[in-house]
Amino acid sequence: MNDSLHDVVVIGGGMSGLTAAIHLAGKGLRTALVSRGDPVCSLSTGCIDVLDIGKRPLEAMGELPEGHPYRLVGRKGIEDALKMFRDLMAEGPSPYVGTTRRNREILTPIGTFKTTCLVPRTMEASQGCRDEHLHVISFHGIRDFYPSYITSRLPNTSFSIYDAGASSTLAIATRFEEEGFVDDFCTWLSGLEIPPGRVAVPAVLGLRNPVSLMNAISARIGRDVFEIPTLPPSIPGLRLFRALKAAFQNRGGDVFWGNAISSVETRGDMVEAVTLAASGRPSRVQGRVFILATGSFVSGGLFATRDAVKEIVFGLPVDIPGPRNDWFWNDFFTTGHPIEGSGIEVDSCFRPVMSGLKNLFVCGSILARSEIMKYRCGHGMALATGLKAAKMCERMLL
Amino acid sequence: MTIKTDVIIIGGGSTGCGIARDLALRGIPHYLVERGDFASGATGACHGLLHSGGRYVVKDREAARECITENAILRRIARKCVEPTGGLFIRLPGDSKRYRDEFLASCDEAGIETAILSPTKALDLVPTLNPTLEEAISVPDCSIDPFRLCMLNAYTSRHRGGGILTHHEVVEVIQEKGRCVGVKARERLTSQVKEIRGRVLINATGAWGDRVARLGGVSVPMSLSKGSLIITNHRLTNMVINRLRPPSDGDIIVPNEAVCLAGTTSIPVSNPNNLEIDPAEVDIVATQAEQMIPVFGTTRLIRAYTGVRPLLRVSARDARSISRGFKVIDHANGMFSVLGGKLTTYRLMAEKTVDAVMAHFGLKAACRTAELALEGQDELSGYPLSKRLSTMDDIVCECELVARRTVEHAINTMGTQYVGDIQHRTRLGMGPCQGGFCTYRALGIMQEIGRVSPDASITILKEFLQRRFKGIRPALWGDQLREEQLIESIYLGILNMGVRHE
Repeated sequence: MNDSLHDVVVIGGGMSGLTAAIHLAGKGLRTALVSRGDPVCSLSTGCIDVLDIGKRPLEAMGELPEGHPYRLVGRKGIEDALKMFRDLMAEGPSPYVGTTRRNREILTPIGTFKTTCLVPRTMEASQGCRDEHLHVISFHGIRDFYPSYITSRLPNTSFSIYDAGASSTLAIATRFEEEGFVDDFCTWLSGLEIPPGRVAVPAVLGLRNPVSLMNAISARIGRDVFEIPTLPPSIPGLRLFRALKAAFQNRGGDVFWGNAISSVETRGDMVEAVTLAASGRPSRVQGRVFILATGSFVSGGLFATRDAVKEIVFGLPVDIPGPRNDWFWNDFFTTGHPIEGSGIEVDSCFRPVMSGLKNLFVCGSILARSEIMKYRCGHGMALATGLKAAKMCERMLL
Repeated sequence: MTIKTDVIIIGGGSTGCGIARDLALRGIPHYLVERGDFASGATGACHGLLHSGGRYVVKDREAARECITENAILRRIARKCVEPTGGLFIRLPGDSKRYRDEFLASCDEAGIETAILSPTKALDLVPTLNPTLEEAISVPDCSIDPFRLCMLNAYTSRHRGGGILTHHEVVEVIQEKGRCVGVKARERLTSQVKEIRGRVLINATGAWGDRVARLGGVSVPMSLSKGSLIITNHRLTNMVINRLRPPSDGDIIVPNEAVCLAGTTSIPVSNPNNLEIDPAEVDIVATQAEQMIPVFGTTRLIRAYTGVRPLLRVSARDARSISRGFKVIDHANGMFSVLGGKLTTYRLMAEKTVDAVMAHFGLKAACRTAELALEGQDELSGYPLSKRLSTMDDIVCECELVARRTVEHAINTMGTQYVGDIQHRTRLGMGPCQGGFCTYRALGIMQEIGRVSPDASITILKEFLQRRFKGIRPALWGDQLREEQLIESIYLGILNMGVRHE
């Protein structure tokens, strides 16, 4: 058995867990990050949704229901977290743009516009693309991107198809990083007769240096270029995750990746250690404080049985909206299905209520009443509660 | 547009398709009109069980005899649709021994071959069975693919001059001098109306029988009973499993391809349209199935579905005690209705119906549907894994390993505008994600080929997602709930197709 001792053990390697872990490692605390695998944020658009109520997300906080995690964090805490995020991303190859004062709109692969707040630089020119002619580039045989969904819905649009010799977004992104590929692509692109305006590509501009690729293409054709996020697997989501994971490791954090937690040790009102079920060589990770950031259903932090919902690591009590028949609306398209509100109820210090555990903090989408799809607050909430939970840990330790 | 024929068949379920084949083999010109795809009513919403007759043998010996006779015929003529799994009736602790004795005696009388198996022998055959079972009785139950069965019956019709219109709803029965002389059928997407004229109309619309009869100025006595079923993500048994007790809720599990189907419930309804599945029905079926195969309780469910049994109306209160027999009614106005029955006896129902029509015409060609194997079985050989694995480079449906070229082939040969048609014929979207990822792709491919306008494709996509959710919602927990939330994040999040609940 491997045994290690840390100040903080963060369970869950998604947006909220990474945010908390980065903050704590940055403070010089010995921080372990435990994750069963790559997080759900790597399936996301990579955009930071903060709150989709009105145009100014921070000013609309008051319209959220009592007990929403944002209300526990407070406006200042949200702003701090988003600033921390932007600064972090500026360190890497995929910086973010946007402001918390104003939401922005980006084009989706189906020709609708989606409200979000901070976006990768490669999506900056998506804002306002309706005002000019838009030429969409697609790739031969690409599985998850069909430009006619967009061109049929938006006037003043056209599309062309390039043969990249690959059909998945990940394979095409890899091609973009090969020597000479961008050159050939630009030569082809320059030869097209496109009305003046912007050019959009599905988000496949490489994993490592998307901004420099975008700038290179933009310079060659003399137009603004932007990426349209695609269905999972999502290249901007992967870039986001990799950048955050790198930021944590650069701050000296320890990563325990790829194994589920098989047992938890507590003594009295304190969590002492978790054991990871690595085949053949289990690891015991001890900590002084623990952060639970395992996410909701998709991430696997919560698991529904026929009539109940379980929190999978500690067995914490989970708030649910009633019997199974009440979990979902009948209409698929109505967002805010009641099950979304289920999760772990916390006190003002982000400790789970009724658990009796004093050194456990909770953050991210596993929190009760977050209703992420309803309010479009996923990554924003993860950042804000991740930082807040980290600060609560810090206070307990220092 | 007017089409002229001799016999118009309304309904593309097993009975309607069986009638089309029978007429084709007897050389009678005919036209079949179906409002959805084949098997979109009760035919496609049943267990896919080719009954041995054991299910009915104690209560209704006659129905059981019909079953075992037809069972043998279909095993012979429809090899590519029937998987000869064999079936077990299992007796669990507490199940009546008297019923068991009665069952065995009745099977003997009806000509259903049985063998009594010890628990050890039964567990050898089906290791997932409840180990506390007292005994099992084997019968020649089989698994049958109702959709393929319809397709193959329609194949004979198509290749012998019959006409088939799917996605056309009969909106009017044309009457002249008190006689039914044709129908007006409306295409679902385009609303274009076609007129079809014939000498005889056959109403083979199952649960919609009375509604169609009324269009022709007559009515038929029916009782409608809703039955809901669930689909597991795994094939938990290689044999059909029945509970050895008087027929009741949730006592049959049928293997089908890579999954199992378990059901059913029985709830009287008055309207065959817009059926809802109550989560409580799912719980009943899952709980009962778990008694027979304990691992059922922790197996992921893909979805639930429901259909309506079109039963002959009698005075009995409990729908399960109503005869599963059938009846052909000559309304003496040019319309015939065929009522009741079940999938297993579809061929016999078709034979008797066509016999009546032939007598009406004064013609004498004999029925040949029992002696000739279904045509087209080699072409419609299905979806063997070996075939699917040979085209791994361009998969658009990861759950069922359906390649882009297979989808393109289906679109091009059918010329269809309906994504459901592609799904039924290729298995696209039939796996655990239930089309959550691949339907968007299939519609994108249809746009590229020019089959649907992108505008229409968004409408179709929305309809599909809503229909899909209706089937998934009542059985939504565990890994399926997890998957559902991911699908939700795609359509309502990334693609922003949702509307906020206030």
